[in-house]
Amino acid sequence: MKLGLFLKDRLYIIIIFIAFYVVNLLFLLASKVDLFLILFFSITLFSIIACVILIEYKRRKDFYDTLITNTEKLDKAYLVLETISYPNFYEGELLYNNLYEINKSMSENVGSLKKQVDDFKEYVEMWIHEVKIPIASLSLLLYNNKNLYDKKTMKIVSQIDNYVEQVLYYTRCENLEKDYLIKRTSLAKVLANVAIRNKDDLLENEIDLEIDDRGISVLSDSKWLEFILNQIVNNCIKYKDSNKESHIKIWVVDTKNKTNLFIEDNGIGIDDGDIDRVFDKAFTGVNGRKYSKSTGMGLFIVKNLITKLGHGIEIESKKGNYTRVTIAFYKNSFYDVVH
Amino acid sequence: MKRIVIIEDDKITRESLGLLLQASGYEAVIIDDFKDVVKCIIEAGADLVLLDINIPYINGEVVLQNLRKESTIPVIMVTSRDSETDEMLSMSFGADDYVTKPYNPNILLLRIRAVLKRSNNSNEITYRDLDINLQKGIIKRGDEEIVLTKSEMIIFNNLLSNQNKIVSRDELMTDLWNNSSYINDNALTVNISRLRGKLAELGIDDAIETRKGIGYILI
Repeated sequence: MKLGLFLKDRLYIIIIFIAFYVVNLLFLLASKVDLFLILFFSITLFSIIACVILIEYKRRKDFYDTLITNTEKLDKAYLVLETISYPNFYEGELLYNNLYEINKSMSENVGSLKKQVDDFKEYVEMWIHEVKIPIASLSLLLYNNKNLYDKKTMKIVSQIDNYVEQVLYYTRCENLEKDYLIKRTSLAKVLANVAIRNKDDLLENEIDLEIDDRGISVLSDSKWLEFILNQIVNNCIKYKDSNKESHIKIWVVDTKNKTNLFIEDNGIGIDDGDIDRVFDKAFTGVNGRKYSKSTGMGLFIVKNLITKLGHGIEIESKKGNYTRVTIAFYKNSFYDVVH
Repeated sequence: MKRIVIIEDDKITRESLGLLLQASGYEAVIIDDFKDVVKCIIEAGADLVLLDINIPYINGEVVLQNLRKESTIPVIMVTSRDSETDEMLSMSFGADDYVTKPYNPNILLLRIRAVLKRSNNSNEITYRDLDINLQKGIIKRGDEEIVLTKSEMIIFNNLLSNQNKIVSRDELMTDLWNNSSYINDNALTVNISRLRGKLAELGIDDAIETRKGIGYILI
């Protein structure tokens, strides 16, 4: 709160006061009152008005200054009322009470929206578990009926399953609650699951898969990790280069502070202009437009899950040459102490 | 014939599972009354149980806990719940494996075979006059000994457990990939001919027959 602006706001008081003072001064002079008395009278008057204005200023300044600076400092500005004390002047009280009511109504509003979203997410999770049952029945029915069973129909079933799973992990990655469990996870096992899920696709596309996990295990949630690696491998398959013999190489490098998992393909690569945005929500880029069927959600969800798990992810690529994704599993000395 | 009990509340799924198991040479017992599941399992005298978590009246995890008080029969949890917590919980209650829906039927069969084999605890099997050590990947005939590569052993083992039945290339491929041998179509052909060669070295040259367009059969 600035004194100058405060005085400007109170200018009418000062003007009225000065006008009143001049009239009185003229009256006193005309009445031939002793000059000393007039001086005393003037000083008293000016002191009183200055005191009144300064006290008024001080009471407001304390309240408004804390309000303003706290609002600036807080990253959740709507919590500011919790940080200031109840004002000791009338207008402040009015403001405080009103802000309180506004806040309350807004949090009720946000609360009811949050509940709606939570309910919806809960429903989606439940629905996904429900829909998996008929998908499972379908794949069994197809398998038992040799007339219907072939690679193509099974591929369609597994595509449905993949899309359903993506929705599940999307709701999970946006959730604030932790529904994962970090434990020592064998990379070999997770990679084997990913490989077998993509077996038909890889064989059909004649993509060689080389995995060298060196028997290393990391701290992670195996289900989440499987989803993440599956998305990345799906991309490797989707963006393969049909003009050369394709391969996907997966290997692990273990250092003191972290374990790096590399997934490299020799596919079409990513444009330099796109590479920084591949993790953005709904970003499809040049490749996504060219090869259609891209929602731009896969890597966005991957990035979110990785962040929640406390791992790191990086992607580098040379157009027409290779794409390499690196996942960093940081070692946690605390976990080792506990276990 | 191994007897497998299916506890699954979705009618179509459990009937299809039953058909799948029967076609693969198992005897399937389907339970459709979930009031006293544990008793049913014990009475069925099964070799293995496929247990769903979401069943009426009682949770599959509770069934497993109660079952473990009375029996050590192998149990594979088959469920659409796919979180790490669910799996940890089931495994800590004594499940032998945990398969999430929807599953690849080939893989389910492989998992069943693996669990049954583990409970049999047999590493030594015989074929004609050969002694086979699965763990070491060695086949022996008298003093003659031949070492199989990992992929060859997986193929031989698969054909052996399906002796006199046709095994498709896809089934062999699934088994190989399930055991972290990520080979391609050509490599499968190469492995099979190498396996034939090694068997021939031990004097058995008619063991593996090719059924064109269908697969292979071990006689």
